[in-house]
Amino acid sequence: MGRGTLEKLKAILQGELSATENVQQALNRIKELDKKIKAFIELNPNALAEAEAIDRKLKRGERVGKLAGLTIGIKSNINVKGLRATCASRTLENYVSPYDAEVIRRVREAGGIIVGMNNMDEFACGSSGETSAFGPTENPAVLGRIPGGSSSGSAAAIAAGMCDLCLGTDTGGAIRNPASHCGVVGIRPTQGLVPAHGLIELAVSFDQIGPLAPDVYGAALMLETIAGHNPNECTSLDSPSANYSDKLGIGIENIRVGTSPKFSELADSAVMEVIDGAVEKLHDLGAEVVEVELPNLEKSLSAYYVIMSAEFFSATRKFDGRKYGRRIEEVCGDEVLRRIKCGDYISRKDQHDRYYKRALQVRTLMRREFGEALNKVDVIVGPTVPKLPHKLGTKLSPAEMYAYDYLTSPISLAGICAGVIKAGEASGIPVGLQVQGKVLGEGTVLRVMRALEAAK
Amino acid sequence: MKMKIGFEVHEQLATKRKLCCDCPTDYREAPPNTNVCPICTAMPGAKPMPPNVRAVDAVIELALMLGCDVVVDKPIYIQRKHYDYPDLPAGYQHSSTPIGINGELVGVRIREVHLEEDPGAYDPVAGTVDFNRCGIPLVEIVTEPDMHSPEEARRFLRQLMLVLDYSGKVRPEPGTLRADTNISLEGGTRVEIKNINSTKGAYRAVKFEVMRQKALIERGAVIPYETRAYLESQMITVPMRMKVVDFHVILDPDIFPIVIDRARVETIRKRMVEAPHQREQRLAKQYQISQAVAGVIVSERELANLFEAVAKEVDPKLVATWFQTNLKKVLNYMKLRATEVKFTHKQLAGLLRMVKAKRITPEQGELVLRKLVKQPAEPEELIRKLGLERLEKADLRAAVVRTIEENPKAVMDYRAGRKEALNFLAGKVMKFTRGRADPREILKFLRAKLKEKKKRRVSRRTKRSK
Amino acid sequence: MSNFGHQTFHRAVEISSGVWMAEREKEVGRSAEEIVESFARAAEELPKLKETYYSQETYNVSRPDGEPSREEERTEFRKRFISIMPGADEQGNLRVEVAKWVEGR
Repeated sequence: MGRGTLEKLKAILQGELSATENVQQALNRIKELDKKIKAFIELNPNALAEAEAIDRKLKRGERVGKLAGLTIGIKSNINVKGLRATCASRTLENYVSPYDAEVIRRVREAGGIIVGMNNMDEFACGSSGETSAFGPTENPAVLGRIPGGSSSGSAAAIAAGMCDLCLGTDTGGAIRNPASHCGVVGIRPTQGLVPAHGLIELAVSFDQIGPLAPDVYGAALMLETIAGHNPNECTSLDSPSANYSDKLGIGIENIRVGTSPKFSELADSAVMEVIDGAVEKLHDLGAEVVEVELPNLEKSLSAYYVIMSAEFFSATRKFDGRKYGRRIEEVCGDEVLRRIKCGDYISRKDQHDRYYKRALQVRTLMRREFGEALNKVDVIVGPTVPKLPHKLGTKLSPAEMYAYDYLTSPISLAGICAGVIKAGEASGIPVGLQVQGKVLGEGTVLRVMRALEAAK
Repeated sequence: MKMKIGFEVHEQLATKRKLCCDCPTDYREAPPNTNVCPICTAMPGAKPMPPNVRAVDAVIELALMLGCDVVVDKPIYIQRKHYDYPDLPAGYQHSSTPIGINGELVGVRIREVHLEEDPGAYDPVAGTVDFNRCGIPLVEIVTEPDMHSPEEARRFLRQLMLVLDYSGKVRPEPGTLRADTNISLEGGTRVEIKNINSTKGAYRAVKFEVMRQKALIERGAVIPYETRAYLESQMITVPMRMKVVDFHVILDPDIFPIVIDRARVETIRKRMVEAPHQREQRLAKQYQISQAVAGVIVSERELANLFEAVAKEVDPKLVATWFQTNLKKVLNYMKLRATEVKFTHKQLAGLLRMVKAKRITPEQGELVLRKLVKQPAEPEELIRKLGLERLEKADLRAAVVRTIEENPKAVMDYRAGRKEALNFLAGKVMKFTRGRADPREILKFLRAKLKEKKKRRVSRRTKRSK
Repeated sequence: MSNFGHQTFHRAVEISSGVWMAEREKEVGRSAEEIVESFARAAEELPKLKETYYSQETYNVSRPDGEPSREEERTEFRKRFISIMPGADEQGNLRVEVAKWVEGR
């Protein structure tokens, strides 16, 4: 992966590496590896021209943004004007975005160069990267295994060094899960911190755009670029803009870190071994480790799937094939169809109370439990995914596939933030530590992640 | 045959931009799909902007005008109502839970009033869609099935249209009405009719539907529950063959609920426009005029405003009579609405004062009024220009004398008992005085003069015979 | 790049008739209902609480009425929108199906 994000950025700003060279290197790497990895669905034909514009600015000594000259991959469910946002589905195969998502506007303003659109699970329905209509993505960290999903292409692109930073999306774990499997850094921000306009919905009350990066600095830099109030969105948090990248190195002395016995109940021992090691390391770095109660943690999964399906059914009604694309039910994969069917069933008038309302009550429960736990500690740390990634092509039942989300979906229900950083490896397979923070606790989460990263 | 008729009426609210995006709401001159953006065309991933507050306030005001209780201190949710139709780009329509409930208008109970979004304009025959109007805020008014004949239905709709027009909260252009109606005859089933676009259309649709259902019932057939479309061109209803749809209603996670507090309702109530049916009652009472006249006066908000302004300065009863007859007549003749009138209430009051003081005749007054409507000016000036200053009595007398002298034949005819000769003479006097004399005065003077001369002649004859 | 398999896919779609589609919908629908039932069972013994519908408990987020967007802002979008429509007429209307209840009249 070469140098870290900070060093790369410095090299560009100081003229040691031009933006054009940086983009060319990324394109070369993609060309070299992507036939195998399949991290990208489409490349930006204007990337080099955009890089040249940044170089001209730098030469003239003009002000450039935070991401000047860095190469950015965008998950294919985020609108980038002029590129196709396919959601890795035949439904939107030919949908060329007529507008920029709010985060894309911010990335462009910060001088980031979008190199292309990343592969993903179809409409973000999947936790393995295998449901893409354009073929499954490989895990560059352990070839032959799934990279996780649904931000499969984004995590793989970072792991394979195909670009500097990526924007993924996380609904029930779709940034954190592949970050864990691919051994990269990923953040699911607090619900509403990052504007969602332009993000093609899986479940709008859970969807969050967030960064995937090779290091904590990169994730912090991207997060502070895209975070902040958008007055044109109802659900955008009116929070003051934060600077994360400057405060990463403060250390974690006096930080209270929570763990829960629930984690070892739900996760495989191979995973837990690596996680326990990381918790010990945090303790050694000065953190106080405390046990917290999360009594109903395992109940969140089914509630998550119920709410998500109802919202997904609603969101997909626009894919009727009339205005653009093709009618979703006619061309989508089985998993997408299954969730549409689930949602259809759940949100029927006569079923509404039994399933949907009940799931929304569990959401209240999760908020309460995490709220209480996080009153006692600054962050809660644990595993990200209960299992190691399976071999590509292994047949899993829907229930087995959904079980990948046991530990990530509670955070989505609770509406809080969480970051993932590689904690170590189990038989050569990366295992990510999930650092779960309070509402708008991204700063603390990133500090803890940076401390662990620096201790390696 | 007993029947029950209810309505769901939709009207576009008068805002500058759409409910959840910044696109303009005035689409009448715009080529297809020009007043659109990613939000109102439901591009993948586009999120609604926070709802337009003016639209919410407008619905509150309309609810109050319809005598509703406004739902206060409780969340009002924006829901998604899903159905698959070409005019609905998102596949669902935004529709709020009730904002007003339990209202009443001319004896028809209003079940609820809420906020919705207009779908696009679908041409079902051409198979084309224009999204220019898609996303414009709508008020939806739902009645109880309290109407019992097509005529009652029409009467209610007319009154409702008047209330909406009065409020100034709906788009002023004609043709924005969209109504669905439900009709059930005794012994039948409820049938819904969509695609109604005018009061006239509603009346015809209901009439047709009553006939159709009656015929079926008489034949002993069962009326199925169904949704039909009204075909304006053929004045009939046809089945839409829609599957029984479950709207899969969920609360829109993209738009937070609205909570209205009492203070907001009171602020709106204070500045709100008085509803026409309420105003009618008040005018009748306050100005001691008949309900019928008050009804004519409130038929247009501007007309009623003008009336009240003028009635402050001149005898209200005279003003009312003038509004009901002369003014209405002139406006109708010139095909003008009261809003289009350019003269000031002061000018009209001035004119009526002169009529009241008998400085001019009512006929002359109407003449002036016509001028006033065409080209506003001070009434004094108009009267001068028209040469309508009233004649002095002496001048009128002189004119009558001269007319009698110059028209001996007519005088003889009159005396011979041909009453119509009097009118001829009066016309001559009128011409002579260039219309400045009051016709009633002319007749009075003429009669008196003719009688006088007759007497004198008779006495002369008597003398001779002696 | 991974635009592989298009040809095969399209052929598959063409070959697969509506019958196949209906079969698939039915089968996936069955599995969906089973899954939903298992979800419902999972939550059975949990306490009844107030539902959380929204990502935050916030009310009255609204915006004032005001000047609409300018025409220039919308022109580019219009062009792009029309270019992705499956069909459009000369005026820029979206072409869709003729209504069922009009057909045959």
